Amino acid sequence: MYQKVILILLLTITHVNLYAQELNFGSDYSSIYSVSISDLNPGLDLDFGLLAKNEGVSSLSMNESKVISIEGVRYLDVYVEIMADEYLLKDGNPSCATNPSCRIPFTLQAAYANRGQNNTAQSTIMNVLSFTATALFPIKYRGNAPPGPPPTPVYSGYNPALFNETAYLYIYGSINVGNVDAGSYTSDITITVSYD
Amino acid sequence: MKKAFLILLIFIFPAISHAQESTELRAEVNINAQIIRSIDLITINTMTFGNAQPGQERLYVNPINDVNSGFMVALGTPGAAFRLDYLNERRLTQIDGPGFLIFRYELSGNSVEEQSSSELLEVVNRNLQFNNEGRYYFWVGGEVNIENALPGNYEGDFTIEIDYI
Repeated sequence: MYQKVILILLLTITHVNLYAQELNFGSDYSSIYSVSISDLNPGLDLDFGLLAKNEGVSSLSMNESKVISIEGVRYLDVYVEIMADEYLLKDGNPSCATNPSCRIPFTLQAAYANRGQNNTAQSTIMNVLSFTATALFPIKYRGNAPPGPPPTPVYSGYNPALFNETAYLYIYGSINVGNVDAGSYTSDITITVSYD
Repeated sequence: MKKAFLILLIFIFPAISHAQESTELRAEVNINAQIIRSIDLITINTMTFGNAQPGQERLYVNPINDVNSGFMVALGTPGAAFRLDYLNERRLTQIDGPGFLIFRYELSGNSVEEQSSSELLEVVNRNLQFNNEGRYYFWVGGEVNIENALPGNYEGDFTIEIDYI
């Protein structure tokens, strides 16, 4: 019985110490440090324009992509997930998802640039699997250098702009227009960003 | 030992709960594509002149009011804008001889099927639009000088290009 009491006491102390460290420098940065995402060209869609039926594959290159910026603490890693629907649907009608005459297959492509500039030449292609592109990367590229020091804790007078940097996402892809009805075809891409 | 395990569970739970407070940011991007129907140009009536009279120097068909005008209809995406180009001067060659004529086309167009209210179209037009039924109507006329023409039959073509803008 005496041994059990000591064990319980040790466990309790250990836990309290760990939690105290996490509060300041732990991995759950999202509750301490902010990250924001912005559309560099709000109101502009990923637009394939006017196409004729049976036109085949029509692609938008990375230079024609939709650009999303991510602003956050430069030394922190963000996890980015970009999810696309399998098809563009005529007038966005869900019933078209099973009707080849009113759906257009979409192939998602995505990349990110984290060297401080909105520059596609500095981008890294993201892996795409099952219509979802994912990547884990630091807001600011650090090359082969080891991870930086823990981020500066939030303190009175803390100015996040001093520690922030901007990374960029490039979302593009292609559609394959077959023998489909004329009309307006739409779909959505959802982007999720969080600190790792 | 069972008690120690129970206590571990209790303290792990708050850590997991804390992680679930993480905020995720979401944004959405729309994808768009407009699928248009291909443009079809259908000839309803060809232009006719009838027989030229002896001494007649010029044949002319007014595309706005002459019943001998050619009549065509373009079919496309309802409401879509398009541009239209055509060559207004074409060479007609004599079918059974060495002669030729220069024909100068005139074209009028209308979004409704009414020749009398159609408007003359320039050689290059960029502000035309299919009507709500995806139609646009053309009337084809023009003039030819036959003063020095050799008797016989002549033929030629008329080139018109329509593209979506």
